[in-house]
Amino acid sequence: MQPGHRSKAKLSLAIPQPATATERREPAIQVSNLSIVFDTERGQLIAVDRVSFDVPHGEFVCIVGPSGCGKSTVLNTIAGLEVPFEGEILVEGLPVHRPRPDVGMVFQQPHLFPWKSVRRNIAHGPRMLGKSAQQANAIADDLIAMVGLKRFADAYPNTLSGGMQQRVAIARALANQPRVLLMDEPFGALDAQTRAVMQDNLLELRDRIKATIVFVTHDIDEAIVLADRVLIMSAGPGRILRQLNVDLPRPRSNAILLEPTYLALKKDCLDVIRAEGLRAFRQSDET
Amino acid sequence: MVPDTALKPDEGGERARERADAGRLQRLNILIGALSVPLFVLLWELVARSGIVNIVLFPPPSVVAVAIFEWMRSGQFFLDLTASLYRVTTGFMIGAALGIFLGIMTGQFPIVSSLLSPLFHILRPIPPIAFVPIVILWFGLSETGKLFLVVWGVFFTVWLSTHIGVQKVDRGLIRAALMLGTPRRQMLQEIILLGALPYIVVGLRTAVSISFYTLVAAELAGTFAGIVYRIEIAQQNLQTGQVMGGLAALGLISFAADRMFAALAERTVWWR
Repeated sequence: MQPGHRSKAKLSLAIPQPATATERREPAIQVSNLSIVFDTERGQLIAVDRVSFDVPHGEFVCIVGPSGCGKSTVLNTIAGLEVPFEGEILVEGLPVHRPRPDVGMVFQQPHLFPWKSVRRNIAHGPRMLGKSAQQANAIADDLIAMVGLKRFADAYPNTLSGGMQQRVAIARALANQPRVLLMDEPFGALDAQTRAVMQDNLLELRDRIKATIVFVTHDIDEAIVLADRVLIMSAGPGRILRQLNVDLPRPRSNAILLEPTYLALKKDCLDVIRAEGLRAFRQSDET
Repeated sequence: MVPDTALKPDEGGERARERADAGRLQRLNILIGALSVPLFVLLWELVARSGIVNIVLFPPPSVVAVAIFEWMRSGQFFLDLTASLYRVTTGFMIGAALGIFLGIMTGQFPIVSSLLSPLFHILRPIPPIAFVPIVILWFGLSETGKLFLVVWGVFFTVWLSTHIGVQKVDRGLIRAALMLGTPRRQMLQEIILLGALPYIVVGLRTAVSISFYTLVAAELAGTFAGIVYRIEIAQQNLQTGQVMGGLAALGLISFAADRMFAALAERTVWWR
């Protein structure tokens, strides 16, 4: 078998098998009645209050909301990094108790291992799951090509720009071929131009990997450009205010930012957020 | 326009002059730096020979040089050097290994930390030299006693820096590693240990000089060979030249050890 042929076969593994009829009925992620409570110095703080939503297989969902609304907390709980106070989370039908290799995560900061080259950062996951160094490197090299960093395969993270580091982080999260990819404001720390490029890259990448994606952001434009569906969250305590379906044609790019349908959607979002902001403001005024 | 053009050549000349001045100043500094030690030695020789000071108690460098030469020629220097280096390196290795191991344990496992940290924090501030009397009672003049002192001095520094280093490992790296399915053992070996390495290396470097301090205490406590032991014997025989030669040797060795370690450290945590 040719090396090129083999790597292609491996890539196809990243695409989840076509869902069977029973699987299709069962969503990739089920969040039911999720509440999260933090112990603070001033007593208990309800960060997330009875949040429920489903994400079907292959969907791209964005959760938007002001900072501190608990959207990252919801994501961390789906990842198994935080424990719910109440409620249940099922990923691929199985309850989440701890991080699972079929769930990948990209954080706001790249959090690359500074002592590992780009290739070895990406190969880390497969290595940990018991793949040989050769297999893991082959997976890494495929992903490096996919995120366009071929020239930097042997570079170390501290020599890369912020955007490139985040591309490595995305590739690293994809290396374990997760069915679900969680992204916590991954482009939040990047400048506007880089962010736009990264969004386009992610959309291209998404068409190839076909994973279910939950993407948290506070940027409404980003949410609408990327998502099939937008969940708008309120702050203190975190609740889901509204769901909006984004029926914009794909493949999309940043260019849709000026289309009338896009602007109408954005207006809907802003109206919800403004009403909620006013309510929160009055509430804080009263107490 | 006119004042502008009039200014330009002048300004250029000014800059060139400034640059030349800066270059001259730098060359002068290097020259003075190179003269620092020779000037000091010359001054020392002149003062010692001038008769203002007692030449027996304050011998000139030429006498010290002869003493060092005799020390080396007799073969005693080599024996003293190996005895001292053996104590320092063995003690350092044992103390550092223990310190890193227990530092990881207390840094990583709260139960171990609750058990050991209070004890270590009480024992740590006691200067190792204060243990000399009890070490002599316990171990007599044996090598074990010497090693004990060096290990004691090295251990606490390395333990504390490792403990802090483990606790300061970027939580983000740990979370990322968790999401990638890193098992417990690999987490400790790959992420925690390497994440704490910059702190550990700083602790180890501090411990290098501490191991030389404790070596002095250990050899003064009584032994049969060693650089500090040689200094003590020479003092008793009023061989002041030999005393100063010993001091110079000790200074050079610990300086070289520190430099070597610094270079090694830079290579170990190159990503910093």
